[in-house]
Amino acid sequence: MSAMEKSGTAVQPQEFHQDIAAKWFLMSSVSYFAIVAIIALIIAAKFVWPEFLGSIQYFTYGRMRPLHVNGMLFGWLLAADIGLSFYFIPRLCGVKLWSEKLGVATAILWNIIILGAVFALPAGYQKGLEYADLPTPLAVLVVIAWLMYGFNIFATIYSRKYEQMYVSTWYLMATILWTAFVYLTGNFATLFTTGVNQANLNWMYTHNAVGLIFTPAGLAVAYYFIPRTSNTPLFSHKLSMVGFWSLAFVYVWTGAHHMLHGPITQWLQTISIVFSIMLLIPVWAVVYNFIASMKGQWHQLGENVSLKFLMSGTIFYLLTCFQGPMHSLRSVNAIVSKTDWIPGHAHMAVMGAFSFFAMAGVYHVVPRIFGTKLHSETLANWSFWLFLIGGLGMFTSLWLGGFWQGWQWSTGNIKFIDTVIALKPVWVVRLLSGVLIATGIYTFMFNIWSTALGTKLPQGESAAV
Amino acid sequence: MLSKTDKNATLFIVVALGLFFIGGLLTTVLPPLLDKSWSKPFENNDPSKGPTGKLVQYTPLQQKGYEIYIREGCKYCHTQQTRTLLSDVTSKGAGSGWKGVDAPVSTPDEFVYDYRQTFGTKRTGPDLSRVGGKYNRQWHKAHFNNPRDLVPGSIMPPFPWIANNPDELDALVAYLQTRGRAKNWRPDNDYEQ
Repeated sequence: MSAMEKSGTAVQPQEFHQDIAAKWFLMSSVSYFAIVAIIALIIAAKFVWPEFLGSIQYFTYGRMRPLHVNGMLFGWLLAADIGLSFYFIPRLCGVKLWSEKLGVATAILWNIIILGAVFALPAGYQKGLEYADLPTPLAVLVVIAWLMYGFNIFATIYSRKYEQMYVSTWYLMATILWTAFVYLTGNFATLFTTGVNQANLNWMYTHNAVGLIFTPAGLAVAYYFIPRTSNTPLFSHKLSMVGFWSLAFVYVWTGAHHMLHGPITQWLQTISIVFSIMLLIPVWAVVYNFIASMKGQWHQLGENVSLKFLMSGTIFYLLTCFQGPMHSLRSVNAIVSKTDWIPGHAHMAVMGAFSFFAMAGVYHVVPRIFGTKLHSETLANWSFWLFLIGGLGMFTSLWLGGFWQGWQWSTGNIKFIDTVIALKPVWVVRLLSGVLIATGIYTFMFNIWSTALGTKLPQGESAAV
Repeated sequence: MLSKTDKNATLFIVVALGLFFIGGLLTTVLPPLLDKSWSKPFENNDPSKGPTGKLVQYTPLQQKGYEIYIREGCKYCHTQQTRTLLSDVTSKGAGSGWKGVDAPVSTPDEFVYDYRQTFGTKRTGPDLSRVGGKYNRQWHKAHFNNPRDLVPGSIMPPFPWIANNPDELDALVAYLQTRGRAKNWRPDNDYEQ
């Protein structure tokens, strides 16, 4: 029996929880997902038509890209993970959220930050550090919002009814703790350094934004919703501990692998490579646990949209985390680094794995907290297939294109501009894939908003959780 | 000990942060203490040790151009690092070499005065770590106005609000001309102004 079975089984009816903070975060995250999808399409279109919106400075590529990255990471994904955690942490602890009011205040502040970014970044107020592009005043607000969120979650956990904490609870606690320091490093410590020293701190942040913010937050979501939506116990509590503690030790060492062959100390590059390879341990422990939990339950995927997203997300997680360690090998890195392969890889991690987990959670949670039924199962299925096909189209076209470009560079006798012209068909495929993904996002948003605004089911009839 | 962390939240916090700080401090605080090239500006007067030259502080005009480079997010498409790879040093292919001379490899001591690191992760356009002196102001003005006029097939966006603003254009070009110039890497000194 998993800890979740012991501690998290439905003992309180849905009405016990208010879920107001969860509603705020989830509904705004879904809306930002749709808004930032437009930015994503604009920048994909610019690769095909470089003059598109080209002479308006606010829409130039170099200003749209940070808006796309920050909007998707903080406006959609992190906000969705926060909203989902406001749902599952109280349930795993058997108590109400410590303060719904504080949660709503956090959501309002979060919205102010994202709206601030929507205006500041196109206006050229970017700090100039990748992933830490938000200007310092907004970054300070992020820190405040994070303290409010962390306090609320930890206060809930410290007042819990069940002594044993389920794996989702550890992953989320770790997300909150590590994010605090990772974010401070990337956004503030960097400001007191220059050159390579700053780059090293920047990559420590960038890499751990994925590894110690989005990974543990996403895995917390997946560890909760895979057993929950399939009504199946987790395969192994012990294995989940192996995965967690190996991640906790290994991840933070790998930042310098973003500068392989570059102007940064050799031994630091080598350390980052060694630890990047070790990342296979936490990843395979987690993926084995997820897949083994599904044993004898795979038929459920046919009728369960959340489970479709969760298990495809698991496969993408496995693939992206196999690519990562392989990219860090010097010989592979010499070909793929700085090419279009890298955005292909990054999108599989953040969209293919962690956004899939978050969407699964949103599809499961929104009908329950609003006391309604999912507006349309058919549309939900459509959104899944649009995401899957669009995603695969984007990932594979960028990998192939990037690999091809890397080989061309390494010949040493093809002019740079010719390697750009060669990639034009790839960027057309990426734009078309982007249109599919964006259609998936709009289908998802429409379905979720219609569910939230739908007719309330009579009390007691909503699914008990 | 780890087996108790799923019951004791405080123990969990201590261990999770402890493991994080081991790797975090050893990979961020320790390296600059051990490798002085991260903080000591490049200077070499001995031709037998590679390119000679000296890294100097940015002038106010160059600094203004640097800030424009950051404002426009140029680093999202242009790297600034000549890596230890043929693809990067060559003058015959897609590298930063120029007119028959291969580019010297970038070293940490060339970036000591950079208030924002511009190494970049994506090379959609060519690397700029040795662009200083390759093109003159006139070329840059025409290129910022419409890159495709000079480089057919380019997908770089036009920047008319810079090309048509002499103050910004001068500043940005002044910044670009500094890139890679700490190392005096062209034997014939054939740098453009």
